[in-house]
Amino acid sequence: MTVLLKAKEVTKTYENAKRPSLNKVSFSVENGEFISIMGASGSGKTTLLNVLSTIDTPTGGEIRINGTDLKNLSATAAADFRKNNLGFIFQEYFLLDSLTIRENISVPLALLKVPPAKIEKNVRDFAKRFGIASQLDKYPCELSGGQRQRASAIRAIIKHPSILFADEPTGALDSSSATELLTTLLNANQELHTTILMVTHDAYAASFANRILIFRDGCILKELSKGGSDRHEFYEAIAAEIAKSDTTRTGGSLK
Amino acid sequence: MNPLSFAYKNLSQKLSFYALYLFSVSLVITIFFSFTSFSMNHVMLEKISENGRVESMCNTISVFLMIFVVFYMSYSNRFFLKQRTKELGIYALLGCRKSAILQLLAFENLFICGFALVIGLVLGAAAHKGIVFGISALLGLSIDTAKIPFFQPSAVRRTVCFVFLVIFILVLSNGRFLLKISLMGLIRFEKKAEKNLTPRRLPALLGLIIILSGYGLALDIVRGTKSVWFSIGFYVVGMLTMMLIVIGTVFFISAFLPYVVGKRRKNVKAFYTGTRIITTPNFIYRIRTNARTLIMLTLLSAAALTISSIMALSLYYPVAAVSRMAPSELECRIENDQQTEEIKLTVGKYADMKDISFLRTDVYKITSPADGLPMEYHVNTAKGDSENEKLLRTPGFECISYTDYLALLNAQGKHRIAGQLTGLQEAECILVKYQPNQDGSDEKGDIYPVVIGENTLSLIVKETTLNNPVSFANSVGTLIVSDAVYSMLQKEYTPETSILSINGHAIKDNEPLYAELKELLHDSPYLQGSSHRIHEIFSLSSSTFLLIGFLVILFFTAVGSILYFNNISTAADSKADYEMLWKMGYSGKALRKIIRKQVFPFFMIPFAFGLLDCLFATLVYKTGLMQNLLGSNPAQFLPTLLAILLTAFFYLLYYLLTIHTCYTLIPHVRAVYCDDRHHDRKART
Ligand SMILES: Nc1ncnc2c1ncn2[C@@H]1O[C@H](COP(=O)(O)OP(=O)(O)OP(=O)(O)O)[C@@H](O)[C@H]1O
Ligand SMILES: [Mg+2]
Repeated sequence: MTVLLKAKEVTKTYENAKRPSLNKVSFSVENGEFISIMGASGSGKTTLLNVLSTIDTPTGGEIRINGTDLKNLSATAAADFRKNNLGFIFQEYFLLDSLTIRENISVPLALLKVPPAKIEKNVRDFAKRFGIASQLDKYPCELSGGQRQRASAIRAIIKHPSILFADEPTGALDSSSATELLTTLLNANQELHTTILMVTHDAYAASFANRILIFRDGCILKELSKGGSDRHEFYEAIAAEIAKSDTTRTGGSLK
Repeated sequence: MNPLSFAYKNLSQKLSFYALYLFSVSLVITIFFSFTSFSMNHVMLEKISENGRVESMCNTISVFLMIFVVFYMSYSNRFFLKQRTKELGIYALLGCRKSAILQLLAFENLFICGFALVIGLVLGAAAHKGIVFGISALLGLSIDTAKIPFFQPSAVRRTVCFVFLVIFILVLSNGRFLLKISLMGLIRFEKKAEKNLTPRRLPALLGLIIILSGYGLALDIVRGTKSVWFSIGFYVVGMLTMMLIVIGTVFFISAFLPYVVGKRRKNVKAFYTGTRIITTPNFIYRIRTNARTLIMLTLLSAAALTISSIMALSLYYPVAAVSRMAPSELECRIENDQQTEEIKLTVGKYADMKDISFLRTDVYKITSPADGLPMEYHVNTAKGDSENEKLLRTPGFECISYTDYLALLNAQGKHRIAGQLTGLQEAECILVKYQPNQDGSDEKGDIYPVVIGENTLSLIVKETTLNNPVSFANSVGTLIVSDAVYSMLQKEYTPETSILSINGHAIKDNEPLYAELKELLHDSPYLQGSSHRIHEIFSLSSSTFLLIGFLVILFFTAVGSILYFNNISTAADSKADYEMLWKMGYSGKALRKIIRKQVFPFFMIPFAFGLLDCLFATLVYKTGLMQNLLGSNPAQFLPTLLAILLTAFFYLLYYLLTIHTCYTLIPHVRAVYCDDRHHDRKART
């Protein structure tokens, strides 16, 4: 497999902050991986995602995606880069209220200047594949949270991004909607080979990934690989790891 | 913490947000106070008002003004309240009682409106000074400005009382709002999602048909006497047209526009572009949720533009027509040579005789036995203003010589027109028209048999002209004949009248001279003066002009500010959407384009309708209600053009201000806005 994303000693210190939010983080992502990023609140997960996706600029280190060095991108070039290479899923869905689901899903393709006929065909195929065909002509306010999040996931997947970034996509969903969404992501990963980088707090959600990075204080504390184990075993391994890191934390503060 | 200090803290924390509110309230108070000061300025009113006309107009306008201020302030109050419902919801969640929140709002309003009052009083007083100065300069009034205080106490009192009354009304309406809304409602107020209805075809078509028939009806007036405006009646058709256009506008905006844009949404080829896929549905959504505001603004803007255009036209037209009503600087009839000498002596007191031309024109009257003579032949009164039309006249042609005609034109400075004349053959003549024939026909080529002594002569009309060399008070049905014919007349008859035309820069704008001549000639109705007439028109209509100008400015300020607030609040509400689009790969430039495309129609619709309504109304007014002394001279539409250009400029200014504020409001657009420029600069150096 080829390396898709390479982060080398990435550091991010916000203005007026005493400590860096990301402290010399290095790792790489291979094509077709599904990675979960876990860690306590404030450990730098969102910061990492922002920096990797050109939304924010790191204060140090180097990031390459598909061989492009993000440092050299101007604002406009960064926008183009996001348009051509990246997909996003947000915790609050962020579908446009005045657009139908069909239109919402079409936005990234329209932005990429895909021919209209092809857009329509793609939208139809994807809606069928991910089970929202009946909702295409509805408006976001007519859908449940889970359905909306699925639509927003399809919006991110449909343009076949090199990497899909998702920041707590299941954060606002109940467990069955969350499972549906995670299945959608898993499908995209397995069938369309979409590389996914997902931040989550939830060990169950993380268990859908095949590799897990656990963060603390802006550093990668631990890396877990699914390897040959099935999802349930993996889940238990993650849960155990989280529990362990929790005790070290309380242990630390007690000292 | 007591509500007072709470409100104070709140204010100082979010200054930029409140600055906008403050600014908009100050603006209306400025207008209100300057107007009130003006209407209570007795020194001024005494000079420009005859028998209370201006006072009663002021009263009417002040009613409008008060309604407007209440409406405008409650609109902006409601606007700012809506912007803050979430914040108020948090107070409520934290355990603030509704009464405490209301108190907070009341104090805030008191702070802001109080501050705005101070600003408004100072600016309004300054504006009032400016108005007084402007009018006295325009009308040449001698006003002792020292007698007019900077702050008129009675006007201040009235303004302060009124503003406090408005604050009271605002507090009441806020109370009602808070009472009706639930805690949940407060928190989720902004997120209220409305269902997008699919636009229906019938009302859409209805809108188009109604508005087209309204404009069609207006256009019908150009058919002249054959049009329904004459056969049914001007006012009936006028009311009908106006109703059609108003109703048509309502349907056009609320149904037709969403329908048409909805069609575009289905047009696969055009729709799927990065910009349109966002702006098209958004436009439909916004126009549906804001239809009422937009319709109101459109009608307001149409009214304002129409009023200003018609007002400008009706002021400008008589001024432009002075060149026909009183072509010479001074003109009168003379009975004998002694009178001429007296007049010359009087003029000599005011100006150097070298610079002044005195031209005496003898007018000979002849009759024609034929039928089908021009309308001017039969006119049985002198023409001009209502004064002149009491002067009786017997039918006939009033002849002057071609040489005199040329000399007069040159003396009046109409060298270009004089230069275009090619001379007359013996039997040729030029017919001076009072106004062009309504059916568009022309007497050119007509032959009039006339009797001179024992001979009958056939005069052929070489051309017709609107450049009458003498005023209509002194001659109607003027025929310019060749010098040969003229000398025949001189041999046969004595002149019907002798007219003295006095021209020259040196006696321009000389009211005392006019007054003295008037006395010398015993108030003769035949005394006409070009400068004097212009002066008269100005002093008669300037107060009307001024007051209506107030109204128009008011209307436009209202339209502009409401559009501004409406657009920036929409942009502020969709901040998160823009952020999402930016993350998806829309560049700052693309987002700015989207913002422009969202804002533009909201300025364009009121402007376009205003423009259309104004053009049609001006056409109807001009054709139906005004004399046509100037023919098709395009210069007479100058004021309409000016009104339109000013309006366009005004809208453009507000549009630019609005998009600029939108840009700064949305983080990534702003960031990239600065970033791009920075980048450009770096690239250049
Ligand atoms: N815009 C910012 N300015 C300054 N400091 C920031 C900013 N954003 C985040 N931080 C700080 O950086 C650190 C990491 O924040 P980050 O948002 O990455 O955490 P997170 O892991 O995503 O947390 P959560 O799980 O709560 O979302 C925190 O200490 C936070 O206070
Ligand atoms: Mg986060």
